[in-house]
Amino acid sequence: MGTMGAGTMTEKKNVWEFGTRQVVYGAIGAALYGVLSYVTNFIPLPAAGNVTFRPAVAVLVFFGVAYGPWVGFLAGLFGNILGDAISGFGFYWNWSLGNGLMGMLAGMAYGGMMNFRSTATIVKAVVWSIIGIGVGMLFASLTEMFTSGIDINTALVGYFTPAFLGNLVVVVILLPILMIAFAGVAAGRGR
Amino acid sequence: MLVNWKYRPRDTFLQRLDPRARILYLACVTLAVTLSQVWDFRLLLPVCLISFALYFSGRLPWKDVRRAWTYMLLFLTLILGLNALLSGRGGPMAVLDVSRQTIIYQTGALIVPVTGWTLRLTLTVERIWFAATQMVRILSMVALAIPIPYTVDPSIYGVTFRRMGLPDKAAQTIDLAFRFVPTLGRDFGQTMDAQRARGYELESLRVGPLERLRRLAPLLVPVVMTSIVSGEDVVDAMDLRAFGTRPRTWLRADWLRFRGWDYALLGLGLALLVGFVSLRVLGYGGFWVPRFMYGLFA
Repeated sequence: MGTMGAGTMTEKKNVWEFGTRQVVYGAIGAALYGVLSYVTNFIPLPAAGNVTFRPAVAVLVFFGVAYGPWVGFLAGLFGNILGDAISGFGFYWNWSLGNGLMGMLAGMAYGGMMNFRSTATIVKAVVWSIIGIGVGMLFASLTEMFTSGIDINTALVGYFTPAFLGNLVVVVILLPILMIAFAGVAAGRGR
Repeated sequence: MLVNWKYRPRDTFLQRLDPRARILYLACVTLAVTLSQVWDFRLLLPVCLISFALYFSGRLPWKDVRRAWTYMLLFLTLILGLNALLSGRGGPMAVLDVSRQTIIYQTGALIVPVTGWTLRLTLTVERIWFAATQMVRILSMVALAIPIPYTVDPSIYGVTFRRMGLPDKAAQTIDLAFRFVPTLGRDFGQTMDAQRARGYELESLRVGPLERLRRLAPLLVPVVMTSIVSGEDVVDAMDLRAFGTRPRTWLRADWLRFRGWDYALLGLGLALLVGFVSLRVLGYGGFWVPRFMYGLFA
Protein backbone atom coordinates (compact mmCIF):
# COMPACT_ATOMS: atom_id res chain seq x y z
CA MET A 1 0.00 0.00 0.00
CA GLY A 2 1.23 3.42 -0.82
CA THR A 3 0.99 6.40 1.50
CA MET A 4 -0.70 9.60 0.52
CA GLY A 5 0.07 13.16 1.38
CA ALA A 6 -1.98 15.96 -0.17
CA GLY A 7 -3.42 13.36 -2.51
CA THR A 8 -0.02 12.26 -3.72
CA MET A 9 1.20 8.65 -3.71
CA THR A 10 4.80 8.25 -2.66
CA GLU A 11 5.36 4.46 -2.82
CA LYS A 12 5.21 1.98 -5.68
CA LYS A 13 1.87 0.18 -5.75
CA ASN A 14 1.17 -3.48 -6.40
CA VAL A 15 -1.61 -3.32 -8.98
CA TRP A 16 -2.74 -6.93 -8.48
CA GLU A 17 -2.68 -7.01 -4.67
CA PHE A 18 -5.81 -8.60 -3.22
CA GLY A 19 -5.98 -8.19 0.55
CA THR A 20 -8.42 -6.90 3.14
CA ARG A 21 -8.43 -3.38 1.69
CA GLN A 22 -9.43 -4.68 -1.75
CA VAL A 23 -12.17 -6.86 -0.25
CA VAL A 24 -13.64 -3.94 1.71
CA TYR A 25 -13.40 -1.35 -1.06
CA GLY A 26 -14.63 -3.86 -3.64
CA ALA A 27 -17.69 -4.33 -1.41
CA ILE A 28 -18.19 -0.59 -0.87
CA GLY A 29 -17.77 0.04 -4.61
CA ALA A 30 -20.29 -2.72 -5.42
CA ALA A 31 -22.79 -1.45 -2.86
CA LEU A 32 -22.43 2.15 -4.08
CA TYR A 33 -22.73 1.12 -7.71
CA GLY A 34 -25.81 -0.98 -6.97
CA VAL A 35 -27.50 1.62 -4.77
CA LEU A 36 -26.68 4.61 -6.99
CA SER A 37 -27.82 2.76 -10.11
CA TYR A 38 -31.11 2.21 -8.33
CA VAL A 39 -31.67 5.60 -6.68
CA THR A 40 -30.66 7.69 -9.68
CA ASN A 41 -33.57 6.05 -11.52
CA PHE A 42 -35.74 8.45 -9.53
CA ILE A 43 -33.80 11.54 -10.64
CA PRO A 44 -34.75 12.78 -14.11
CA LEU A 45 -31.65 12.64 -16.24
CA PRO A 46 -31.16 13.77 -19.79
CA ALA A 47 -31.22 11.28 -22.60
CA ALA A 48 -30.72 11.55 -26.32
CA GLY A 49 -32.40 8.95 -28.49
CA ASN A 50 -31.88 5.69 -26.67
CA VAL A 51 -28.74 6.93 -24.91
CA THR A 52 -29.42 7.21 -21.19
CA PHE A 53 -26.97 8.36 -18.55
CA ARG A 54 -26.07 6.12 -15.63
CA PRO A 55 -24.11 8.39 -13.25
CA ALA A 56 -23.17 5.44 -11.02
CA VAL A 57 -20.73 4.31 -13.74
CA ALA A 58 -18.44 7.19 -12.72
CA VAL A 59 -18.35 5.78 -9.19
CA LEU A 60 -17.56 2.30 -10.48
CA VAL A 61 -14.60 3.37 -12.61
CA PHE A 62 -13.42 5.68 -9.82
CA PHE A 63 -13.11 2.71 -7.45
CA GLY A 64 -11.05 0.91 -10.10
CA VAL A 65 -8.80 3.95 -10.57
CA ALA A 66 -8.40 4.57 -6.83
CA TYR A 67 -8.00 0.98 -5.59
CA GLY A 68 -6.91 -1.16 -8.52
CA PRO A 69 -8.28 -3.63 -11.06
CA TRP A 70 -9.56 -6.25 -8.59
CA VAL A 71 -11.62 -3.65 -6.75
CA GLY A 72 -12.94 -2.32 -10.07
CA PHE A 73 -13.81 -5.83 -11.24
CA LEU A 74 -15.57 -6.83 -8.01
CA ALA A 75 -17.39 -3.51 -7.77
CA GLY A 76 -18.68 -3.83 -11.35
CA LEU A 77 -19.53 -7.54 -11.22
CA PHE A 78 -21.26 -7.61 -7.84
CA GLY A 79 -22.55 -4.04 -8.07
CA ASN A 80 -24.52 -4.91 -11.19
CA ILE A 81 -25.86 -8.11 -9.56
CA LEU A 82 -26.82 -6.00 -6.56
CA GLY A 83 -28.44 -3.25 -8.64
CA ASP A 84 -30.51 -5.87 -10.47
CA ALA A 85 -31.40 -7.48 -7.14
CA ILE A 86 -32.57 -4.17 -5.65
CA SER A 87 -34.50 -3.21 -8.78
CA GLY A 88 -35.94 -6.71 -9.07
CA PHE A 89 -34.81 -7.14 -12.68
CA GLY A 90 -33.33 -10.61 -12.21
CA PHE A 91 -29.86 -11.98 -12.80
CA TYR A 92 -28.01 -11.33 -16.05
CA TRP A 93 -24.47 -12.72 -15.94
CA ASN A 94 -23.20 -11.17 -19.17
CA TRP A 95 -24.02 -7.57 -18.22
CA SER A 96 -22.59 -8.12 -14.74
CA LEU A 97 -19.39 -9.53 -16.22
CA GLY A 98 -19.27 -6.64 -18.73
CA ASN A 99 -19.52 -4.15 -15.85
CA GLY A 100 -16.77 -6.07 -14.04
CA LEU A 101 -14.49 -5.76 -17.07
CA MET A 102 -15.28 -2.05 -17.26
CA GLY A 103 -14.12 -1.54 -13.65
CA MET A 104 -11.12 -3.84 -14.06
CA LEU A 105 -9.73 -2.04 -17.11
CA ALA A 106 -10.29 1.35 -15.48
CA GLY A 107 -8.25 -0.09 -12.60
CA MET A 108 -5.26 -0.53 -14.90
CA ALA A 109 -4.65 3.19 -14.36
CA TYR A 110 -4.13 2.54 -10.63
CA GLY A 111 -0.41 1.74 -10.94
CA GLY A 112 0.35 5.21 -12.30
CA MET A 113 -1.88 7.16 -9.92
CA MET A 114 0.62 9.40 -8.16
CA ASN A 115 -1.28 12.65 -7.78
CA PHE A 116 -5.04 12.56 -8.12
CA ARG A 117 -5.13 16.31 -8.78
CA SER A 118 -2.69 16.46 -11.67
CA THR A 119 -4.10 16.86 -15.16
CA ALA A 120 -1.89 14.10 -16.58
CA THR A 121 -3.13 11.60 -13.98
CA ILE A 122 -6.75 12.56 -14.54
CA VAL A 123 -6.35 12.22 -18.31
CA LYS A 124 -4.74 8.81 -17.86
CA ALA A 125 -7.59 7.67 -15.59
CA VAL A 126 -10.22 8.91 -18.04
CA VAL A 127 -8.48 7.18 -20.97
CA TRP A 128 -8.28 3.83 -19.14
CA SER A 129 -11.89 4.23 -18.07
CA ILE A 130 -13.00 4.82 -21.67
CA ILE A 131 -11.08 1.70 -22.73
CA GLY A 132 -12.84 -0.15 -19.91
CA ILE A 133 -16.25 1.11 -20.97
CA GLY A 134 -15.53 0.11 -24.57
CA VAL A 135 -14.38 -3.42 -23.75
CA GLY A 136 -16.95 -4.04 -21.01
CA MET A 137 -19.94 -2.85 -22.99
CA LEU A 138 -18.70 -4.58 -26.15
CA PHE A 139 -18.44 -7.87 -24.24
CA ALA A 140 -21.95 -7.50 -22.80
CA SER A 141 -23.43 -6.42 -26.14
CA LEU A 142 -21.78 -9.18 -28.16
CA THR A 143 -22.77 -11.89 -25.68
CA GLU A 144 -26.37 -10.74 -26.21
CA MET A 145 -25.98 -12.28 -29.68
CA PHE A 146 -25.84 -15.69 -28.00
CA THR A 147 -28.29 -15.09 -25.18
CA SER A 148 -30.91 -13.08 -27.08
CA GLY A 149 -30.22 -14.31 -30.60
CA ILE A 150 -29.73 -10.82 -32.02
CA ASP A 151 -27.40 -10.12 -34.94
CA ILE A 152 -24.18 -8.12 -34.76
CA ASN A 153 -25.77 -4.94 -36.15
CA THR A 154 -28.42 -4.89 -33.42
CA ALA A 155 -25.76 -5.69 -30.82
CA LEU A 156 -23.58 -2.80 -31.95
CA VAL A 157 -26.23 -0.21 -32.80
CA GLY A 158 -28.96 -1.13 -30.32
CA TYR A 159 -26.84 -2.02 -27.31
CA PHE A 160 -23.18 -1.08 -27.54
CA THR A 161 -23.41 2.44 -29.01
CA PRO A 162 -25.96 3.87 -26.55
CA ALA A 163 -24.29 2.19 -23.56
CA PHE A 164 -20.82 3.33 -24.64
CA LEU A 165 -21.79 6.93 -25.42
CA GLY A 166 -23.87 7.38 -22.27
CA ASN A 167 -21.15 5.99 -20.00
CA LEU A 168 -18.43 7.94 -21.81
CA VAL A 169 -20.14 11.27 -21.18
CA VAL A 170 -20.73 10.39 -17.52
CA VAL A 171 -17.09 9.42 -16.97
CA VAL A 172 -15.61 12.45 -18.74
CA ILE A 173 -17.72 14.79 -16.59
CA LEU A 174 -17.86 13.09 -13.18
CA LEU A 175 -14.62 11.09 -12.84
CA PRO A 176 -12.31 14.16 -12.61
CA ILE A 177 -14.60 15.66 -9.94
CA LEU A 178 -14.44 12.45 -7.88
CA MET A 179 -10.66 12.23 -8.27
CA ILE A 180 -10.08 15.78 -7.08
CA ALA A 181 -12.42 15.25 -4.12
CA PHE A 182 -10.59 12.00 -3.28
CA ALA A 183 -7.24 13.79 -3.28
CA GLY A 184 -8.59 16.12 -0.59
CA VAL A 185 -10.00 13.24 1.51
CA ALA A 186 -6.77 11.23 1.21
CA ALA A 187 -4.74 14.25 2.27
CA GLY A 188 -6.96 14.74 5.31
CA ARG A 189 -6.72 11.09 6.32
CA GLY A 190 -3.01 10.81 5.61
CA ARG A 191 -3.37 7.49 3.73
CA MET B 1 -34.28 7.26 0.61
CA LEU B 2 -34.99 3.73 1.71
CA VAL B 3 -33.54 0.94 -0.36
CA ASN B 4 -35.61 -2.16 0.17
CA TRP B 5 -34.79 -5.70 -0.76
CA LYS B 6 -37.28 -7.38 -3.01
CA TYR B 7 -36.86 -10.59 -1.04
CA ARG B 8 -39.71 -11.75 1.19
CA PRO B 9 -39.58 -15.09 2.99
CA ARG B 10 -42.36 -17.29 1.68
CA ASP B 11 -42.67 -20.97 2.27
CA THR B 12 -42.82 -21.88 -1.41
CA PHE B 13 -41.35 -24.70 -3.45
CA LEU B 14 -39.04 -22.28 -5.28
CA GLN B 15 -37.65 -20.84 -2.03
CA ARG B 16 -37.09 -24.28 -0.56
CA LEU B 17 -34.77 -25.12 -3.46
CA ASP B 18 -31.07 -24.58 -2.84
CA PRO B 19 -30.05 -21.29 -4.59
CA ARG B 20 -26.99 -23.07 -6.04
CA ALA B 21 -29.23 -25.59 -7.79
CA ARG B 22 -31.32 -22.76 -9.23
CA ILE B 23 -28.34 -20.75 -10.47
CA LEU B 24 -26.74 -23.86 -12.00
CA TYR B 25 -30.04 -24.83 -13.64
CA LEU B 26 -30.30 -21.31 -15.10
CA ALA B 27 -26.74 -21.70 -16.44
CA CYS B 28 -27.61 -25.08 -18.00
CA VAL B 29 -30.77 -23.73 -19.65
CA THR B 30 -28.93 -20.65 -20.94
CA LEU B 31 -26.22 -22.81 -22.47
CA ALA B 32 -28.71 -25.39 -23.79
CA VAL B 33 -30.89 -22.89 -25.65
CA THR B 34 -28.08 -20.62 -26.85
CA LEU B 35 -24.97 -22.72 -27.39
CA SER B 36 -26.76 -25.57 -29.12
CA GLN B 37 -28.57 -23.27 -31.64
CA VAL B 38 -31.69 -25.41 -31.38
CA TRP B 39 -34.51 -23.53 -33.14
CA ASP B 40 -37.23 -26.19 -32.99
CA PHE B 41 -40.27 -24.75 -31.21
CA ARG B 42 -41.35 -28.25 -30.14
CA LEU B 43 -38.13 -28.66 -28.17
CA LEU B 44 -38.01 -25.14 -26.76
CA LEU B 45 -41.62 -25.01 -25.56
CA PRO B 46 -41.24 -27.71 -22.84
CA VAL B 47 -38.13 -25.92 -21.50
CA CYS B 48 -40.10 -22.68 -21.34
CA LEU B 49 -43.02 -24.41 -19.60
CA ILE B 50 -40.69 -25.88 -16.97
CA SER B 51 -39.22 -22.40 -16.37
CA PHE B 52 -42.72 -20.97 -15.88
CA ALA B 53 -43.72 -23.88 -13.62
CA LEU B 54 -40.73 -22.99 -11.42
CA TYR B 55 -41.61 -19.29 -11.67
CA PHE B 56 -45.21 -19.82 -10.57
CA SER B 57 -44.11 -22.15 -7.77
CA GLY B 58 -42.53 -19.03 -6.22
CA ARG B 59 -46.04 -17.45 -5.88
CA LEU B 60 -44.69 -13.94 -6.51
CA PRO B 61 -47.37 -11.21 -6.33
CA TRP B 62 -47.87 -9.45 -9.67
CA LYS B 63 -47.47 -5.99 -8.12
CA ASP B 64 -43.92 -6.95 -7.05
CA VAL B 65 -42.75 -8.19 -10.42
CA ARG B 66 -44.81 -5.94 -12.70
CA ARG B 67 -41.96 -3.50 -13.37
CA ALA B 68 -39.47 -6.24 -14.26
CA TRP B 69 -41.94 -8.00 -16.57
CA THR B 70 -43.03 -4.75 -18.24
CA TYR B 71 -39.42 -3.94 -19.03
CA MET B 72 -38.67 -7.45 -20.27
CA LEU B 73 -41.79 -7.68 -22.43
CA LEU B 74 -41.13 -4.27 -23.97
CA PHE B 75 -37.59 -5.37 -24.71
CA LEU B 76 -38.78 -8.68 -26.15
CA THR B 77 -41.37 -7.00 -28.34
CA LEU B 78 -39.45 -3.97 -29.54
CA ILE B 79 -35.98 -5.37 -30.05
CA LEU B 80 -36.30 -9.10 -30.45
CA GLY B 81 -39.82 -9.38 -31.84
CA LEU B 82 -39.52 -6.67 -34.47
CA ASN B 83 -35.99 -7.73 -35.35
CA ALA B 84 -37.10 -11.32 -35.87
CA LEU B 85 -40.26 -10.32 -37.72
CA LEU B 86 -38.76 -7.78 -40.08
CA SER B 87 -35.29 -9.10 -40.80
CA GLY B 88 -34.89 -12.52 -39.17
CA ARG B 89 -31.42 -11.44 -38.15
CA GLY B 90 -29.76 -13.54 -35.49
CA GLY B 91 -31.68 -16.58 -36.61
CA PRO B 92 -30.80 -19.61 -38.73
CA MET B 93 -30.34 -19.43 -42.51
CA ALA B 94 -33.96 -20.55 -43.03
CA VAL B 95 -35.21 -17.15 -41.85
CA LEU B 96 -32.44 -15.09 -43.42
CA ASP B 97 -32.75 -16.24 -47.01
CA VAL B 98 -36.03 -14.74 -48.30
CA SER B 99 -35.88 -16.72 -51.56
CA ARG B 100 -36.68 -19.91 -49.61
CA GLN B 101 -39.58 -18.42 -47.64
CA THR B 102 -43.33 -17.99 -48.09
CA ILE B 103 -43.89 -14.26 -48.53
CA ILE B 104 -47.03 -12.74 -46.96
CA TYR B 105 -46.34 -9.06 -47.59
CA GLN B 106 -43.51 -7.11 -49.15
CA THR B 107 -42.95 -3.35 -49.39
CA GLY B 108 -41.53 -1.64 -52.45
CA ALA B 109 -37.78 -1.10 -52.71
CA LEU B 110 -36.48 2.00 -50.97
CA ILE B 111 -33.12 3.21 -52.23
CA VAL B 112 -31.05 5.04 -49.62
CA PRO B 113 -29.55 8.23 -51.09
CA VAL B 114 -25.75 8.46 -51.43
CA THR B 115 -25.11 4.86 -50.32
CA GLY B 116 -27.34 3.27 -52.95
CA TRP B 117 -28.49 0.60 -50.50
CA THR B 118 -31.83 -1.04 -51.26
CA LEU B 119 -34.18 -1.55 -48.34
CA ARG B 120 -37.25 -3.77 -48.58
CA LEU B 121 -39.27 -5.09 -45.67
CA THR B 122 -40.52 -8.60 -46.24
CA LEU B 123 -42.95 -10.38 -43.93
CA THR B 124 -42.89 -14.14 -44.29
CA VAL B 125 -44.49 -17.15 -42.61
CA GLU B 126 -41.07 -18.30 -41.47
CA ARG B 127 -40.24 -14.97 -39.86
CA ILE B 128 -43.53 -14.84 -37.95
CA TRP B 129 -42.84 -18.29 -36.55
CA PHE B 130 -39.24 -17.37 -35.87
CA ALA B 131 -40.42 -14.40 -33.77
CA ALA B 132 -42.60 -16.77 -31.72
CA THR B 133 -39.72 -19.24 -31.34
CA GLN B 134 -37.37 -16.47 -30.30
CA MET B 135 -39.84 -15.27 -27.64
CA VAL B 136 -40.17 -18.77 -26.18
CA ARG B 137 -36.40 -19.17 -26.17
CA ILE B 138 -35.78 -15.94 -24.27
CA LEU B 139 -38.69 -16.45 -21.87
CA SER B 140 -37.16 -19.82 -20.87
CA MET B 141 -34.24 -17.88 -19.36
CA VAL B 142 -36.08 -14.76 -18.18
CA ALA B 143 -38.66 -16.75 -16.17
CA LEU B 144 -35.76 -18.29 -14.23
CA ALA B 145 -33.77 -15.05 -13.82
CA ILE B 146 -36.50 -12.67 -12.65
CA PRO B 147 -37.50 -14.53 -9.44
CA ILE B 148 -33.93 -14.72 -8.07
CA PRO B 149 -33.91 -11.34 -6.23
CA TYR B 150 -37.40 -12.03 -4.85
CA THR B 151 -36.71 -15.52 -3.57
CA VAL B 152 -33.05 -15.67 -2.49
CA ASP B 153 -32.22 -14.19 0.93
CA PRO B 154 -29.66 -11.36 0.45
CA SER B 155 -27.71 -12.65 3.45
CA ILE B 156 -26.84 -15.94 1.73
CA TYR B 157 -25.53 -14.65 -1.62
CA GLY B 158 -21.95 -14.69 -0.28
CA VAL B 159 -22.00 -18.23 1.05
CA THR B 160 -23.92 -19.39 -2.04
CA PHE B 161 -21.19 -18.20 -4.40
CA ARG B 162 -18.49 -19.47 -2.00
CA ARG B 163 -20.04 -22.95 -2.12
CA MET B 164 -20.09 -22.67 -5.91
CA GLY B 165 -16.31 -22.37 -5.93
CA LEU B 166 -15.68 -18.62 -5.63
CA PRO B 167 -12.60 -17.75 -3.51
CA ASP B 168 -13.21 -16.83 0.13
CA LYS B 169 -12.25 -13.18 -0.32
CA ALA B 170 -14.50 -12.67 -3.35
CA ALA B 171 -17.41 -14.29 -1.49
CA GLN B 172 -16.71 -12.03 1.48
CA THR B 173 -16.89 -9.04 -0.89
CA ILE B 174 -20.43 -10.04 -1.91
CA ASP B 175 -21.42 -10.57 1.70
CA LEU B 176 -20.09 -7.17 2.76
CA ALA B 177 -21.62 -5.41 -0.26
CA PHE B 178 -25.10 -6.66 0.66
CA ARG B 179 -24.57 -5.49 4.25
CA PHE B 180 -23.47 -2.00 3.13
CA VAL B 181 -26.57 -1.39 1.00
CA PRO B 182 -29.03 -0.16 3.69
CA THR B 183 -26.39 2.18 5.18
CA LEU B 184 -25.47 3.67 1.82
CA GLY B 185 -29.12 4.06 0.86
CA ARG B 186 -29.70 5.97 4.09
CA ASP B 187 -26.55 8.11 3.53
CA PHE B 188 -27.74 9.00 0.04
CA GLY B 189 -31.15 10.05 1.37
CA GLN B 190 -29.61 12.19 4.11
CA THR B 191 -27.20 13.83 1.67
CA MET B 192 -30.03 14.61 -0.72
CA ASP B 193 -32.09 16.17 2.11
CA ALA B 194 -29.10 18.17 3.38
CA GLN B 195 -28.29 19.52 -0.07
CA ARG B 196 -31.90 20.43 -0.74
CA ALA B 197 -31.99 22.31 2.57
CA ARG B 198 -29.08 24.36 1.15
CA GLY B 199 -31.07 25.19 -1.97
CA TYR B 200 -29.78 22.39 -4.20
CA GLU B 201 -32.18 21.39 -6.95
CA LEU B 202 -31.91 19.10 -9.89
CA GLU B 203 -35.39 18.37 -11.10
CA SER B 204 -36.47 21.89 -12.10
CA LEU B 205 -33.20 23.13 -13.57
CA ARG B 206 -33.37 24.80 -16.97
CA VAL B 207 -29.89 23.85 -18.11
CA GLY B 208 -28.44 21.54 -20.73
CA PRO B 209 -28.00 17.79 -20.23
CA LEU B 210 -24.26 17.97 -19.55
CA GLU B 211 -24.70 20.68 -16.94
CA ARG B 212 -27.39 18.65 -15.21
CA LEU B 213 -25.05 15.68 -15.13
CA ARG B 214 -22.28 17.84 -13.64
CA ARG B 215 -24.66 19.09 -10.98
CA LEU B 216 -25.03 15.55 -9.68
CA ALA B 217 -21.60 15.98 -8.10
CA PRO B 218 -22.91 17.59 -4.87
CA LEU B 219 -24.88 14.39 -4.34
CA LEU B 220 -22.31 11.83 -5.44
CA VAL B 221 -19.17 13.27 -3.88
CA PRO B 222 -20.29 13.38 -0.21
CA VAL B 223 -21.80 9.87 -0.36
CA VAL B 224 -18.73 8.34 -2.02
CA MET B 225 -16.17 10.12 0.15
CA THR B 226 -18.01 9.33 3.40
CA SER B 227 -18.09 5.64 2.43
CA ILE B 228 -14.38 5.70 1.65
CA VAL B 229 -13.52 7.23 5.02
CA SER B 230 -15.70 4.76 6.94
CA GLY B 231 -14.24 1.91 4.88
CA GLU B 232 -10.87 2.48 6.54
CA ASP B 233 -12.40 1.56 9.90
CA VAL B 234 -13.81 -1.64 8.43
CA VAL B 235 -10.39 -2.55 6.99
CA ASP B 236 -8.78 -1.98 10.40
CA ALA B 237 -11.44 -4.02 12.19
CA MET B 238 -11.05 -6.93 9.78
CA ASP B 239 -7.26 -6.82 9.93
CA LEU B 240 -7.40 -6.84 13.74
CA ARG B 241 -9.50 -9.99 13.52
CA ALA B 242 -6.87 -11.56 11.25
CA PHE B 243 -9.14 -11.66 8.20
CA GLY B 244 -7.71 -13.73 5.37
CA THR B 245 -5.21 -15.70 7.42
CA ARG B 246 -7.46 -18.78 7.47
CA PRO B 247 -10.53 -19.90 5.49
CA ARG B 248 -13.53 -18.18 7.02
CA THR B 249 -16.61 -19.88 8.39
CA TRP B 250 -20.13 -18.88 7.33
CA LEU B 251 -22.94 -18.42 9.79
CA ARG B 252 -25.65 -19.54 7.41
CA ALA B 253 -23.77 -22.29 5.63
CA ASP B 254 -26.19 -24.88 7.00
CA TRP B 255 -29.00 -23.18 5.09
CA LEU B 256 -27.51 -24.58 1.93
CA ARG B 257 -28.16 -28.27 1.56
CA PHE B 258 -28.87 -30.24 -1.59
CA ARG B 259 -32.03 -32.27 -1.23
CA GLY B 260 -33.93 -34.53 -3.62
CA TRP B 261 -35.54 -31.75 -5.67
CA ASP B 262 -32.21 -29.93 -5.99
CA TYR B 263 -30.55 -33.03 -7.43
CA ALA B 264 -33.54 -33.52 -9.72
CA LEU B 265 -33.29 -29.92 -10.98
CA LEU B 266 -29.56 -30.22 -11.54
CA GLY B 267 -30.03 -33.55 -13.33
CA LEU B 268 -32.72 -32.01 -15.54
CA GLY B 269 -30.47 -29.05 -16.36
CA LEU B 270 -27.57 -31.28 -17.33
CA ALA B 271 -29.87 -33.57 -19.34
CA LEU B 272 -31.22 -30.56 -21.25
CA LEU B 273 -27.74 -29.28 -21.97
CA VAL B 274 -26.34 -32.61 -23.11
CA GLY B 275 -29.54 -33.46 -24.97
CA PHE B 276 -29.75 -30.19 -26.91
CA VAL B 277 -26.08 -30.22 -27.88
CA SER B 278 -26.30 -33.89 -28.94
CA LEU B 279 -29.39 -33.22 -31.05
CA ARG B 280 -27.63 -30.47 -32.99
CA VAL B 281 -24.52 -32.60 -33.44
CA LEU B 282 -26.74 -35.35 -34.87
CA GLY B 283 -28.46 -32.86 -37.17
CA TYR B 284 -31.80 -32.48 -35.34
CA GLY B 285 -33.44 -29.47 -33.72
CA GLY B 286 -33.15 -27.08 -36.68
CA PHE B 287 -35.72 -24.38 -37.44
CA TRP B 288 -39.22 -25.81 -37.78
CA VAL B 289 -42.50 -24.26 -38.93
CA PRO B 290 -45.83 -26.04 -38.29
CA ARG B 291 -47.93 -26.82 -41.37
CA PHE B 292 -50.97 -24.87 -40.11
CA MET B 293 -48.94 -21.65 -40.40
CA TYR B 294 -48.75 -22.04 -44.19
CA GLY B 295 -52.50 -22.78 -44.26
CA LEU B 296 -53.24 -19.60 -42.31
CA PHE B 297 -51.60 -17.38 -44.91
CA ALA B 298 -52.42 -19.39 -48.04
